[in-house]
Amino acid sequence: MSEMTVNNAITLTDRRDRRFGWLMASPSLALLFLVILFPVFWAFFTSLHDYTLIAPNFDTFTGAGNFIKAAEDGEFRHSLWLTAMFVVGVVLLEFLLGFMVALALNKVERFKAIYYAILLCPLLMNPVIVGLIWRMFLHPNLGIVNYLLSTIGLGPVNWLGSTSVAIWTIILVDIWHQVSFMIVLLLAGLSALPKEPYEAARVDGASPLQCLWRITLPLMRPVIIVTLLIRLIFAVKTYDLIYIMTRGGPGVSTDFISYFIYRTAFVSLNIGEASAMSITLLAIILALTLYLYRYMRSLA
Amino acid sequence: MADITLDRVSKIYPNGVPAVREVSLDIKDGEFMIFLGPSGCGKSTTLRMIAGLESVTSGRLSIGGALMNDVDPADRNIAIVFQNYALYPHMSVAGNLGFGLQLRKVPKAEIDRRIAAISAMLGIGELLDRKPAHLSGGQRQRVALGRALVREPKAFLLDEPLSNLDAKLRASMRTELIKLHQTLGTTIVHVTHDQVEAMTMGQRICIMKDGEIVQVGAPMEVYRYPADIFVAGFLASPPMNLVAGRLDAEAGGLTAIAGSARFQLPQGFASAYAAQSGNPVTLGLRPEDFHLSARDLKHPQGVAVTAVATEVLGPEVILVCGLGGKGGPEIMVRCPRDFTATPGQALDLHYDLSQIHLFDKTTGKALQRPRSL
Repeated sequence: MSEMTVNNAITLTDRRDRRFGWLMASPSLALLFLVILFPVFWAFFTSLHDYTLIAPNFDTFTGAGNFIKAAEDGEFRHSLWLTAMFVVGVVLLEFLLGFMVALALNKVERFKAIYYAILLCPLLMNPVIVGLIWRMFLHPNLGIVNYLLSTIGLGPVNWLGSTSVAIWTIILVDIWHQVSFMIVLLLAGLSALPKEPYEAARVDGASPLQCLWRITLPLMRPVIIVTLLIRLIFAVKTYDLIYIMTRGGPGVSTDFISYFIYRTAFVSLNIGEASAMSITLLAIILALTLYLYRYMRSLA
Repeated sequence: MADITLDRVSKIYPNGVPAVREVSLDIKDGEFMIFLGPSGCGKSTTLRMIAGLESVTSGRLSIGGALMNDVDPADRNIAIVFQNYALYPHMSVAGNLGFGLQLRKVPKAEIDRRIAAISAMLGIGELLDRKPAHLSGGQRQRVALGRALVREPKAFLLDEPLSNLDAKLRASMRTELIKLHQTLGTTIVHVTHDQVEAMTMGQRICIMKDGEIVQVGAPMEVYRYPADIFVAGFLASPPMNLVAGRLDAEAGGLTAIAGSARFQLPQGFASAYAAQSGNPVTLGLRPEDFHLSARDLKHPQGVAVTAVATEVLGPEVILVCGLGGKGGPEIMVRCPRDFTATPGQALDLHYDLSQIHLFDKTTGKALQRPRSL
């Protein structure tokens, strides 16, 4: 009898606590729904209709029509392909460079704080500012980069005006901006590695290079994968640099997916198709995030 | 041949902190040597210098007659077992055991053969496919030991390998290490802060303090003739009782006086230290050298004490009591397991005077007991 009372009492307080929890969380949940979930659902709804800014209404239901049109659109496929190339390029290059710098910094004891401060500078800058600064630096006639090249006898490079060079210029600027992110994360991982296996390996007869391959890389695997995925997800969304530096040009040589969707929506005014593309991009990013989440949970 | 010789070896860290000062020691081939001392005494640093993981600041370190100061750890042909095992977390047990051999380009078949032999010997044959995270502390310990054994080195360096194990496992690993040493006959240097390990395992104990060697000797030698107060207080549990007192010449002999307790010293002492009469000394009285006795206090070995507390340990009872009566300096006495006493109870004990230790009050050095006693 008394046990039942106790049980009831627990359920009652439990239920009261839960209700109180929902009450406390509801304002932020409502806000989240309003500013994030609602636009997403609205975009999804729009993607199923023929909705343009010229005729902004939901009169014509097209179903998967917008998705099919996007998939058949050569320009959309081109920008997807371009984005994929860019993402793989920057993530790999930033990783290689970042890992090397992190390995070097991991051995440094003196002036560590100063190195950190210098490294963090680009990361603290707004991408729009980064784009503006580099656009000036890389100006074909007035930029400092071409001037410096000319002093050692190298001809002027049309950094942003050439279809073959522009994407590499964007990649280089992105590396300049984002490589510190890799360095900081990888450095944190490296400094958290246990010291003892390295001493054991020294006695076992491992050279520094063998230590790197056989001990550091396997032990760093979780950190490396998480770092790569986070950078990858962010790189897919790159928009500001393109908007400031090339506007997708010259031609469509730097027309990354985010910028292409923006153009479809606000230049071509085709909101329905742009929404379909956004939903596709969202699905890709969600899949990557889900993988990242699963992987991080499998570590714990 | 794997004699390990340290000749005035010092280690001073770059920040100027001296860890080891002018240590000279000769570890013989096949010897089981213990480095014993409190934490921070330099014993681990000395071991790491022998392993090559720490550089030698000054002095000469040689293994098997060859100077090793600047030789890479890999080329010293020694193996080390670390306190926290330092297994490679991403490798299986077999991978951990075989890594050193792989790096030395030992043929695959030979590696497999040695792994099989060592894992059978240590009873870890079932675990070869497991990762260290899925092993118990004792199993990890065995793998770490196996990783050292599989290389067939000239010497094993063990850096507090048992301190992370629970008491029962530690006792059984102690025995196993002793057996292992008997089978292999390889030089072993074992660092520990546990005096039980030191007494039971070592052929010789090297006791260190503040980066210097205080005393080196066989376990019973060190127990019987501690060089100073530090060694006396460090070995055995409960340790030697150290009581302030003075020497006094009387009736043609020498008496050590601590409060109201008087210990008439054997003739050997009297003749050796007659000149010290009147000097302050520290008396060292081992708890196991007191005996419960029916003899009265008139006998030269009689000691009056007042019980303060008893600690019942099972096999024995430790009596905490005031030496010389109530309010006297507190000492510990080992008593048989059926002993009982109430606090405040006056007791007459007798002390085996041939086992008394005397230390210089100021330097702490032993007034060496005449060996004839």
